[in-house]
Amino acid sequence: MERAIALLLGIAAWTGVAVTAVLVVNAWQDENQILAFLPIAAAVVLAWGVGEWVTERVFGMHEEVRRGNS
Amino acid sequence: MAILERAFATRELQDPSWFRRIFSDTRLAPLWALARMYLGYQWLLAGWHKMWGDGRWINLPGEDGGPLKGFWERATTIPEEGSPAIKYDWYRDFLKYMLDNEWYTWFSWVIAFGEVLAGVALIVGAFTGIAALAGATMNFNFMLAGAASTNPVLFILAILVMFGWKVAGWIGIDRWLLPALGTPWQPGTVTKPIAEAAGHGLPGRHPGST
Repeated sequence: MERAIALLLGIAAWTGVAVTAVLVVNAWQDENQILAFLPIAAAVVLAWGVGEWVTERVFGMHEEVRRGNS
Repeated sequence: MAILERAFATRELQDPSWFRRIFSDTRLAPLWALARMYLGYQWLLAGWHKMWGDGRWINLPGEDGGPLKGFWERATTIPEEGSPAIKYDWYRDFLKYMLDNEWYTWFSWVIAFGEVLAGVALIVGAFTGIAALAGATMNFNFMLAGAASTNPVLFILAILVMFGWKVAGWIGIDRWLLPALGTPWQPGTVTKPIAEAAGHGLPGRHPGST
């Protein structure tokens, strides 16, 4: 259950990045490319952060066990 | 025969450490992420113009692909003076064949959707290497058709991202997608049981195995 929620959270975060990118391009087109690039980059960093946090919380212990066994 | 055997004997040529540091080290992932996102943004922008912009290629009141038809016609025309836009006859014949068969009606959809998909995939960092390859293929074709524009710069950037495919998507979905799906030569956590069940497992080749 926990893993399914983590997977859903990850999918939602990255879908959010894709939606943000399309909305930003739709709103600003190529009027100011640097300004338009910032929210996209921020969304990517945020989604990556969410992914790392969820991975650490849900799968972190398993990683340590695997490393300890090898 | 001996000289051929000696020349092509089994040996693996190692990449220099600076090459591995640039294209395989996750410490450079932020730099690759920036390059990848810039490339993706450019493709998304180009695709957006073709799908929804004023001079769009698809969803037109009449026949789809009018602008693409115009582009192909201009590219395949051989001027009476000066040099033609296309240097290679085989590529001109290829475009003329598509033009004569009215492929622009559906091919404009392929290009517009291809650009948007490649752009989104590069931005979110999913299958980054493949998305960069798709982008480079489109740049290559635009350049063969005589359109320079931003294509040379984007082409070089796409080639670099392809070289750095392992780390270019590290700050992206590939961070989780690649270990899960793996590669054809090393199955991932999701595909490994399937590959082993099918008898294609490679015991001893996985870094985690002994």
